[in-house]
Amino acid sequence: MKKKPFLIIFLLATIILGACQPKQSTPSEKQTLVVWDQFYRDEESKVIDQLNAEFEAKHPGVSIQREVKVLEDLSLTVKLALANEDGPDVAQVNQGRVDMGALVKDGLLLSLDDYAKQYKWNERFPGTLLARNSFSEDGKQFGTGHIYGVSPTAEVVGVYYNKSMFAQHGWAVPTSFDEFLDLLAKIYEAGIVPISFGSLDGWNAIHLFSAIQHLHVSREYIDDFVYSRNDVSFDTEFNLKALYQFYDWVKLDYFTPNFQGIGYDASNESFKKGEAALTITGSWLAPELLTGTDQTFGFFLLPGYEEQQALAIGGLGIPFSIRATTEKKDLAAEYIDWMVSERAAELWADAGMVPAMPLPKKYKLQNDTLFADTVEAWQNINANNLVGHYIDWATPTMYDRLVFWLQRLLSFVSTPEEFIIGISQEYEDWKPYQQ
Amino acid sequence: MQNKAKRYPGESKWKGLLYLLPALLLYLIFTFLPILETIRSSFFQAESLYGARSFVWFQNYIKLFQTSQFLSALRNNFVFIFFYSFLPISFGLFLASFLARVRVPGMRLFRTLYFIPQVLSMVVVGVMWRWMYDPNIGPINVFLRWLGLEQFAQAWLGSFTFALPAVGMAAAWVQYGFCMVLFLSGIQRIPEELYEATSLDGANAFRQFWHVTLPGLIPELSVALMTTIIAALRVFDLVFAMTKGAPGGSTEVTGLLIYRWAFELNNHSYAATMATVLTLIILLISLVIRRVFKQSEKGAL
Repeated sequence: MKKKPFLIIFLLATIILGACQPKQSTPSEKQTLVVWDQFYRDEESKVIDQLNAEFEAKHPGVSIQREVKVLEDLSLTVKLALANEDGPDVAQVNQGRVDMGALVKDGLLLSLDDYAKQYKWNERFPGTLLARNSFSEDGKQFGTGHIYGVSPTAEVVGVYYNKSMFAQHGWAVPTSFDEFLDLLAKIYEAGIVPISFGSLDGWNAIHLFSAIQHLHVSREYIDDFVYSRNDVSFDTEFNLKALYQFYDWVKLDYFTPNFQGIGYDASNESFKKGEAALTITGSWLAPELLTGTDQTFGFFLLPGYEEQQALAIGGLGIPFSIRATTEKKDLAAEYIDWMVSERAAELWADAGMVPAMPLPKKYKLQNDTLFADTVEAWQNINANNLVGHYIDWATPTMYDRLVFWLQRLLSFVSTPEEFIIGISQEYEDWKPYQQ
Repeated sequence: MQNKAKRYPGESKWKGLLYLLPALLLYLIFTFLPILETIRSSFFQAESLYGARSFVWFQNYIKLFQTSQFLSALRNNFVFIFFYSFLPISFGLFLASFLARVRVPGMRLFRTLYFIPQVLSMVVVGVMWRWMYDPNIGPINVFLRWLGLEQFAQAWLGSFTFALPAVGMAAAWVQYGFCMVLFLSGIQRIPEELYEATSLDGANAFRQFWHVTLPGLIPELSVALMTTIIAALRVFDLVFAMTKGAPGGSTEVTGLLIYRWAFELNNHSYAATMATVLTLIILLISLVIRRVFKQSEKGAL
């Protein structure tokens, strides 16, 4: 009985102590910039840590409080956090209507137009790229209006190939789509899986179809489709043609056997081990293919038809945005400028990631490496205004619907015509809500 | 039977309430109030994440029951009841009655082993089973090929016919241990004399099971049914980790839809509507089970 009161006091003490947060004494000049990013992968995270350390060194009295999350987690929590006074000052916000557009609609993001002029971001990035992070003030129009985010990295979707395998069989990088089709047939005849692919996660199937689609569309169409301008439709001949090309590859068994049950990571692992000759995905995979494997890989853009310029899916990586209610606007803008500086470009390149900003002139790219291939591909489409879009940006539910219909198509439950009708219907139904 | 708890003379009857108060407060703040707020949200519609909401009466509910996506997700939930409830309860009953009546060496070890899946986080279970079902390197297909049954080795989670049962089997694997342990403890409650009496009357093992074990297990059956059915209707993490509704919505469940509407499409009110309807369905089923088993309990005694 004598132990009972002691126990109660002990429990209460633990609870009270646990609830109390020790107050940190902050000197008056010290500022903390809270930054949320999604560069959780080892190589990427090291770059951010390095950049943050150098920023702090240049700005005595400023300390950066970094929080890193996986993109899915970040997208969920950032929507809540940016409405908070204690939220991050700078945060990476996913592009598109569902994330950035929704936040702009609620006035939670700061317009970066003035800073863009001040730091000359509109000279570092072409307008067509900045448009991808732009919305009108009410969040309704996409691809125009004010700039709400600046991206440090760039992405391009293309074809990775196993260099060792190509050398062994005497295959060459194709320069036209017909040559590409011949190459696929040759690889298949050699008894090797032509394209490593798994559709269980869904989103990479969108890239695969859209990569072919991009060889058939015009610059204006793909812009209009994604930004919902000029009343375009998905029900077009060229979309159907691209879809049939994709469908043919499925029927010809050009993909990993049983790909319907394989996920994205698993299919990349398989490609890395040399179990397939090619895989079609984005430049973000390149750093992973540099370590932990004895094969060498290269990258090339999906070649197009002779009569038509070939666009490629691509764009800017996840951008940095500033919380509208932050008190450290200038500091936040300075941080963002640092993240897209030449020094940042250098560090991204060292880590094998394609930077969105131009590399410093004195930076030496090793020729014939995988990374050089991806940078070259990006610089190519950027310079020639051939940077395509992620078509799932078109409507808030487009991502969902595309995965839905693609998985049905890939299991032969739906036909290409039904796919086209399904997606067009989705697009048309959404248009009225835009008003 | 005494219903009144013994109280010492001079003891205040509010003392018991005081012990309950902290937990009650926590429950109110973190569980009950959010539930009320969710139900309240379902009667509104907002234009944007933090924008002003307008009261729309039952419009969300009407819209909900007109969408085939919700109804097919609900159907998948009910299919899951077979894997969450029927299979584990049947198998659990069989295992429990076997282990209780037959002295198996190392019984405690078996009980622990069979219960382990319950202890794992559902996300871990999902990731693990996703790997198990991998068409090329997963153990299930490797085993089938080793047996010479290549034609059965397929893309389980990518198939429109097999994805839902595949996820269901992972769920059954988690639940059967729980049912078995529950029934084992229930069987040990049944007086030995009943078994002696029936065997004296010439009953074989099966008749003993049917006439002694089963009726004696009615309270446990009711608990098992309720817990597993609720789990089947509530499922989210297992499906999210294994297929996210793939392929083509064939494993889509209401939990996934709620998540998608709330967090991916920023429509919290609509998600709240779905959540409220799901809660009502669960409540209804629980009440029905309780009713049915109350009658049986009276009959058995």
